[in-house]
Amino acid sequence: MNKKMAVVLALGLVGATARAQETIKIGLMAPLTGAWASEGQEMKRNVDLLAEQLNAKGGLLGKKVEVVTEDDGGDPRTASLAAQRLTTKGVVAVIGTYGSAVTEASQTIFDEAGIIQVANGSTAVRLTEKGLKNFLRTCPRDDEQGRVGAAVVEKSKAKKIAILHDNSAYSKGLADEINGILKGKNANVVFFDALTPKEQDYSAILTKLKAAGPEVVFFTGYYPEAGLLLKQKKQMGWNVPFIGGDAINNPDLVKIAGKEAAEGFQFLSPPVPKDLDTAEAKAYVVAYQKKFNEAPSSIYGVLAGDGFRVVAKAIEGAKSTKAEAVRAYLTGSLKAFPGFTGKIEFNAKGDRVGELYRVYKVARDGSFVMQP
Amino acid sequence: MNRRLLVGYLVAAVALILAPRFLDAYQVDVLNSVGLYVLLALSLNLILGDAGLFNMGQAAFYAVGAYTAAILNTRLGVPMLWAMPVSGLLAAIFAVIVARPVVHLRGDYLLVVTIGLGEIVRIALVNDVFGVTGGANGIFGIARPFLFGHKIRTPDEFLYLIWGFVAVTVFLFHRLEESRFGRALTFLREDAVAAEGSGIDTTRYRLMAFALGAAWAGMTGSIYAAKMTIISPESFSFWESVVVFLMVILGGSGSIPGVMVGAAIVVIMPEIFRDLATARMLVFGLVMMVMMVVRPQGLLPWRAPRFRAGDVPRDLPRPEAAP
Repeated sequence: MNKKMAVVLALGLVGATARAQETIKIGLMAPLTGAWASEGQEMKRNVDLLAEQLNAKGGLLGKKVEVVTEDDGGDPRTASLAAQRLTTKGVVAVIGTYGSAVTEASQTIFDEAGIIQVANGSTAVRLTEKGLKNFLRTCPRDDEQGRVGAAVVEKSKAKKIAILHDNSAYSKGLADEINGILKGKNANVVFFDALTPKEQDYSAILTKLKAAGPEVVFFTGYYPEAGLLLKQKKQMGWNVPFIGGDAINNPDLVKIAGKEAAEGFQFLSPPVPKDLDTAEAKAYVVAYQKKFNEAPSSIYGVLAGDGFRVVAKAIEGAKSTKAEAVRAYLTGSLKAFPGFTGKIEFNAKGDRVGELYRVYKVARDGSFVMQP
Repeated sequence: MNRRLLVGYLVAAVALILAPRFLDAYQVDVLNSVGLYVLLALSLNLILGDAGLFNMGQAAFYAVGAYTAAILNTRLGVPMLWAMPVSGLLAAIFAVIVARPVVHLRGDYLLVVTIGLGEIVRIALVNDVFGVTGGANGIFGIARPFLFGHKIRTPDEFLYLIWGFVAVTVFLFHRLEESRFGRALTFLREDAVAAEGSGIDTTRYRLMAFALGAAWAGMTGSIYAAKMTIISPESFSFWESVVVFLMVILGGSGSIPGVMVGAAIVVIMPEIFRDLATARMLVFGLVMMVMMVVRPQGLLPWRAPRFRAGDVPRDLPRPEAAP
């Protein structure tokens, strides 16, 4: 390297650091590796794109926004390291993360460091019940879904109801919630049992289900099992409506079940951007498609994007990056913010308020159609 | 213990004591992570390195310890450091029960059995066994430990707790290595038939190695639970066992300083490559492969103890003094 080049390079570096000091740093903690890597990648895509758009419009408070991404590996230990690392990088807020236990491992670290954390996929009720002042989330809570699920079952006017779960904490919790509400209203729950996830043949449990003679079946598990259940139900020639929870919102459901068997299946989910008729959501889907050649597929990635947007909005609205000011704005001044997943508002605990869940139905061509 | 090793330990100890002055919270927390894995790797080293028993289910004992402490603390309010010996004891009892029927198996067969064991424990935890493990959500709200009335909370405080325990462990394990028990294990590893022929009860010694290794993993589990304040089954996955196995093999099976270096490298490397984001595990894997090809015996391999001329006659009966 000659001397001239070295000088230019050194100047460049100095310039770069000088500019770096004037950015507002927002952290993203996501499972970029590990079992939930696909969710983590999607979260990063959404947040990166939104930061890019924000900077194109001039950034926040006259400064550029920089996204600092850390991998939590979908594991609490890695997450605590990722959180510690973020606290040393001068971030003002952190978006993420997905799993409830993983989020919990990072909660106190951010809280003690005075950094706002907006989780996007951690639905466990207890996370916001601890009274941590810096924690919020854009995803709904498990008990909210239970309430909506029970309402959907009631609306179907079925006299005999079956509830099927898969024994995972999420699935069993949701099933218990729905069962409790229905029992309280004297509904006739004729079947309440679990299947074993990751199996290939569910004809035994389906036969047992059929013997109980339900008029509607609520399955609270994940999409791979739901797909197989629908397929094998069709093969048995049993024509009973199935309803599912929000872990079923994945296009692979139709691939596993086949279009014919999946048709008419209903599930609960927060709305995805393509179903919202606000101009912003439409423009976002177009921009996302242009950049990544596909529509945003995971609702949790979009919820991370919404987390980023409310934080940006709060910093702008509060004209400050201080945690207390941002938190006060988010829980107090933010009203009916037009998110990509519906209107966003937070209560004093940091939970999102308002009706978030929609009912989706699988159409004849295998697409998911939001029900009015 | 030779002088060079002693100097090495002293330098490492001084560096660790001064570490919080020069490092930020994240870097100190990485050192804490290294400390926890050093403990785990040392516990496995007793089973894999000293006794030569292929165990790829160390996470199971780690999990038993962590869950024991967490349940004792959240349900009965037992302070975390008091729960630590109970964790170790329970993990040891568990190890003896499950290892007794399989301990006579040869290397690779034992490996398969221990892999199965690790998975059984993890799945049992997910399925909320006995209704106390909290299922897939795990256990939360574990209290921070108190030491002499002082609440241990920040990464700096945990640094001293964890590495203090490491120091005790290293001292004890070096003593153990030089004891009759340690020498018997070495004999057994090198040639089980000859050991048996020389009057070493191989089954008993193997079980003891398993129990002691499990006890240490269990106690480490309780420190882990205290540090995280939340534990869930995904922290005790098969991958965790593999990583610890890797640390022992990479550092030098049977060698205490080697295993410690192995643990440090395996923990620190993915952290250094954090900026590569998704490629970090790829780079990590490549480095592992190169290391194994270049140095298959480990970084600091175990060296057979040598006896000086002065060591042997000490145990012989002294000749009668001439009148």
